Amino acid sequence: MRILVCFKVTPDFEALREADWVAGAAHGVETRYVRRIFNCFDESALEMALRLSDTLAGRGVTVGLGALSVGGGEAEPYLKTLYALGYERAARVHSEVNLDFAPAVIASIIAGYVRRVDHSDLVVLGCRSGPGDSGTVPFLVAEKLGWPCLTQVIEVEPLTDDRVRVAWMVDDGLLRVTLRLPCVLAVGNAVVSHLRVPTLTDRLARRNKRIDVFRAADLGVDITGELRRGTCVLAGLEEIHRARQGVIIAGETPREKARDLFDSHLKSMIEKL
Amino acid sequence: MRFAAILYGTIGTATQQAQALGGFLREGLIGDLVGETLVFYHDERDRKRLVELSPTRDVRLIKTTARRPDRMVEILTAVARGEGISLFLFAGGSVGTELATRLACRTNGAVLTDALSIEMGPERLLCRKNVYSNHMVGRFELSAHPWCVSIDACWKDGRSPTSLEHQVLSDTDETGGISTTPFEDLELVDPPATGDLAESRFLVVAGNGAGNREGVERIAEAARRMGAGFGVSRPVAMNAWAPMDRLIGVSGTRTAPALCIVVGASGAPALHWGIEKAAFIVAIDLDEQAPIVRNADAAILDDGVAIVEELAEIIAAERKNE
Amino acid sequence: MHLSREIIVEGLQRIARPENVITDERVLRESSIDRFRKYEDIHGVYTQPLPAAVVMARSVQQVAEVLGFANEHGINVVPRTGHSATEGGLETAVADSIVLDGSGMNQILAIDTYTMQATCQCGVPLQVLEDRLREQGFTTGHSPQSKPLAQMGGLVATRSIGQFSTLYGGIEDMVVGLEAVFPDGTVTRIKNVPRRAAGPDIRHVVIGNEGALCYITEVTVKLFPYLPQNNTFLGYTLDSMKVGFEVLREVMVSGYRPSVARLYDPTDAAFHFSHFAEDQCVLIFVAEGPAGIAKATAEGIEAIVAGHQECRRVDSTLIATWFADLNWGPEKVAEEREEIKQTNNIGFTTEVSGGWGCINDIYENALRRIVDEIPDITMAGGHSSHSYINGTNMYFVYYYNVVDCKPEEEITKYHTPINKIICEETLRFGGSIVHHHGMGKARAPWVKDEYQSSYYILETLKRAFDPNGIMNKGTIFPK
Repeated sequence: MRILVCFKVTPDFEALREADWVAGAAHGVETRYVRRIFNCFDESALEMALRLSDTLAGRGVTVGLGALSVGGGEAEPYLKTLYALGYERAARVHSEVNLDFAPAVIASIIAGYVRRVDHSDLVVLGCRSGPGDSGTVPFLVAEKLGWPCLTQVIEVEPLTDDRVRVAWMVDDGLLRVTLRLPCVLAVGNAVVSHLRVPTLTDRLARRNKRIDVFRAADLGVDITGELRRGTCVLAGLEEIHRARQGVIIAGETPREKARDLFDSHLKSMIEKL
Repeated sequence: MRFAAILYGTIGTATQQAQALGGFLREGLIGDLVGETLVFYHDERDRKRLVELSPTRDVRLIKTTARRPDRMVEILTAVARGEGISLFLFAGGSVGTELATRLACRTNGAVLTDALSIEMGPERLLCRKNVYSNHMVGRFELSAHPWCVSIDACWKDGRSPTSLEHQVLSDTDETGGISTTPFEDLELVDPPATGDLAESRFLVVAGNGAGNREGVERIAEAARRMGAGFGVSRPVAMNAWAPMDRLIGVSGTRTAPALCIVVGASGAPALHWGIEKAAFIVAIDLDEQAPIVRNADAAILDDGVAIVEELAEIIAAERKNE
Repeated sequence: MHLSREIIVEGLQRIARPENVITDERVLRESSIDRFRKYEDIHGVYTQPLPAAVVMARSVQQVAEVLGFANEHGINVVPRTGHSATEGGLETAVADSIVLDGSGMNQILAIDTYTMQATCQCGVPLQVLEDRLREQGFTTGHSPQSKPLAQMGGLVATRSIGQFSTLYGGIEDMVVGLEAVFPDGTVTRIKNVPRRAAGPDIRHVVIGNEGALCYITEVTVKLFPYLPQNNTFLGYTLDSMKVGFEVLREVMVSGYRPSVARLYDPTDAAFHFSHFAEDQCVLIFVAEGPAGIAKATAEGIEAIVAGHQECRRVDSTLIATWFADLNWGPEKVAEEREEIKQTNNIGFTTEVSGGWGCINDIYENALRRIVDEIPDITMAGGHSSHSYINGTNMYFVYYYNVVDCKPEEEITKYHTPINKIICEETLRFGGSIVHHHGMGKARAPWVKDEYQSSYYILETLKRAFDPNGIMNKGTIFPK
């Protein structure tokens, strides 16, 4: 078993002010003024991989963990943290172009890294990430690699060197299955959602480990070409105005007011509930 | 242009899919399209009901193996190659995402997941979907047929479709000669319970303004009569006017109901965080200046217990008439 | 004479009516602690003695009667309003205490925009008062991080300070008059005047007493005009804390009063500012007030910082964005609980103060010792956030993994040793071991070292006002 976790570092969207949610130039929202954080589903994936590795270590099996991110230098502190936590391989693929709304390109890059560099047989990543929130990357990676893929995964346990037991949420419940590797697992609202924290001693011990930086071309991916051939393109952004109306219902008696509230606002809602 | 809406699985989920697709076809799709529903089933007993649920008049039945989205993708790929269908529509959810994405890959088409609405342009499909963690709406253009689109979960709250006179155009069995599955020992289990408050679609929340335990109990009873879940703010729980497991907000439950009625709570940040995702908030409070009044969609400035009891009567009566 | 729980509860029910006397066990457990025991709480472990009851006081009269009852029978009373304390001040240190909760006394009694004063009962949440005032164009100027949770009584009782204190001062500068009830049931009202010299300033017996001397039932605070439109933000990165302290000092000594003046060390900066500061200190100023003053303040500060080559200016929008997201809102509290439960990594803060001549020594030595002596440390750093003409505070922030350790041992294994280091180094260099969180029970062991000969004044106050020792045992004065 050779595990690779793919993660994205995104701006903390919740830290943006109401007024910041406007479409800027080049179809983007200005996010450079807020701090960055792990995409929450990717963070679950990173911790789940560590726990998988711990479980195997408990059985005397060593599985080296790899981590990959696509982007600029903003991923470096996070890759350093992953080294401090015991990840064995930490790499990023540098892209000059913004790939926020290009899941197909991201998937090509990940598949290229797996096939040409990492040779992992278990790829774990979050089920979706902002700003695009398409949820398609895991399946696109699976298609390019020809592997099965499960999404909304909430638990993974290692069974043998080439089999894992996976629990994932489906529309009508929770399924458990034994899955033969290689496969792609996309993590959803897992019980485990926070990455453990390395001690200062751990950080110090691993601070000199090198982070590998690749270009897309090294992995057989022509970003410009793929973008040009892209079949789903962002054409614009719209603001959402969700301010609540704060309508005050008048009336002489409680009964009148309740009646007015029901007739004017609640009737059709209640029918559906 | 022709479209195919996809229905699959057990009756339970198919009903939701049908409602979502029906609503979307009526109100979320702009364009001149005719279409049919492709129904994937595995249990013979479900055939009739699935046909009845279909959101289009024309239906094709396809028998397949349960819980094999990979098989469905193979079948749909063959359909896409043959039948001149420009748009494949899937209900939201992870199966919809998987089917739309994989189908687009195999047919060199285009995929868009969780669409809020779509509009046919001359060459392209114009789609809208939530982006930036639901802070913005993105407009996307899909080129390359077939367009493989899954629809946003918000369409799940649609009403049941009006009954159509369905026509079964074809009826095939695709269970033979299937590829080996990478799955072993598949078991369906009960999902972990998140508790009724987190799941509740209709909630009544009582705050300190209830005055005392009796007031809180009366509000709880009114909630029950309305068919709503019941929660309380922290001061109410800390006064022991209601059990701690009813607590909503920080160190309690975070809720996301379609309708939330807040009775006698000022709407301080701790509580507000627990209800702010509600689609529609009604505030009932004596204090016009209370933050909840400004953060509500509608408000009544009056005694909460009296109002909510009147409302319970009205709703109970309406429910009986339905 | 030690009364049984039942008798205590009966007595309280007679005074406060049964519906205001809570004996539900879950409520009692939650009422035995405050945020100092965050780790135990999250793991559902409660080590403090259960109180006999929580009493929701509805009037000053009730407060007086409850205190009188407790005083007569030697029952420990823990005064409480917002329940947001962080230093153990609200822990019930002895069995069968009475937790006297004033959060039900939540009326804003008067807002006088001519005399620029607002009067509130002790249970008014600061957020509510502040929102009400801002609508009318006024502000208290008081904005502690706990604003969404804290209430007026507790804010005064702990000598709290807010994020804009460098301009508006701490709570002690904002309080005009107040009402407080003493253990023997005496209700005292201190009237609202701008200043007087009619003897010592007795308000300072009440402000900061942390419930160890009396119960605050009403507070009047000053009002200021609310002029956020003139807020000007300045941010810089630099390499050394020593230089940072020098810049802060120069700004203060030159006579500028920005509302915010902060200096983050690289570790603490990494938490908040990694998007523009890598392994660097961060210096932040906010100038506010009337347009002319805000402008002059910002310009004066810019000129001072420009004189220090090592400071590099950053885009003000970065600071404005950070400023908008400061408070300890409910979503952060909820998120934190989950994170701690899953990762067993927990963090706390300890804030001290010192003159310009010693603050850097305090900072360097305390931090060095924490990193050297405490196991499983994952982060140790800090920032200065409240400056004066003669010095500043140092807000140490530290996180550790709780390893091989039961929840109830976390404090002894990690938190107390860290506090000990910080207190020792602060005392060594002549600073104060508590800047604004209150002594609570956490730092009470060092009270005599903190006061030295002046402890005589403090302990005499305690003996005079609380001869039976019923007020919040263990707070300020160790048990």
